[in-house]
Amino acid sequence: MIEKKQQIYNKLGLHARAAAKLSHMANMFSSDIYLIYNEDKVNAKSLLGILTLAASVGNEITLQAAGEDEKEALAAISDLFDRKFDEES
Amino acid sequence: MIHSVIITHGKLGRELIQVAEKILEQKLDIEVIAFDWQDDGSAMIAQLEKFIAARPGQKTVIFTDMFGGSPSNISTRFINANVEVISGINLPGLLKFFCCGEHNGNFRQIVKKVEQEAKDGINIISEYLGEKK
Repeated sequence: MIEKKQQIYNKLGLHARAAAKLSHMANMFSSDIYLIYNEDKVNAKSLLGILTLAASVGNEITLQAAGEDEKEALAAISDLFDRKFDEES
Repeated sequence: MIHSVIITHGKLGRELIQVAEKILEQKLDIEVIAFDWQDDGSAMIAQLEKFIAARPGQKTVIFTDMFGGSPSNISTRFINANVEVISGINLPGLLKFFCCGEHNGNFRQIVKKVEQEAKDGINIISEYLGEKK
C-alpha cells in the first residue's frame, strides 16, 4: 500500500466533472484506491463518494492505493490533479 | 448491458440527461420520453411498447420523475422480470447508473444501488455536515 499527499489546484476543486474524470481514471486500475480528506476516506472509483468530500482548491488530500498497479494508479491520478483536471490552461 | 428510458413531465428528463452527459463527458445511451401535458398517455405508451418490443428478453430500467405521476403510473404496467421502474430519479441516481462500470452484476442489485444512491443524494446539508463532524 502506498500513499501520497496531493494538493488540489483547480479552481472548482473536486466538483462533479472533476470527480467524474477521477473516478473514470481510478476504474482503469485494478488496485483499491482511496482519497482521504480530514477524517473521511472514500473510494476513488465512486464518483458520488468523491463528491461527499466537498474538497476545494488549496486543500490537501491523501491518495492511497493498494494492489498490483498501485504505483501506476497513484502516478496517473496525481498527474490528473496536477493538470487541474484539464479544466484550466 | 442494461437499457434505459427516462420518462418525465415536460422536458425535465432531457435536461437531466444533458447535465449528466456534461458531467460524464460522454453521450448517454438512453431513450428520453417527454410527457406532454396535453397528452392522454397513449403516445407515451406507444413509445414504451416500441422500445421494449425491440429488445425482447433484455434488461431495461425506466426512470420516472415522481411516483404516482402519469409517467410513473404508465411505466408501472411494463414491470416484469426484465423491466424495472425507478421513480423520483435525480442526478446522483443517474450518475450512479451511468458511471464507471456500474452495469456489472446482478440486475436487481444494480437497480437497488441506483435507488439508494438517489436517496442518499438528498440531504439537509447542515445536518449532513453535522453528522460528519
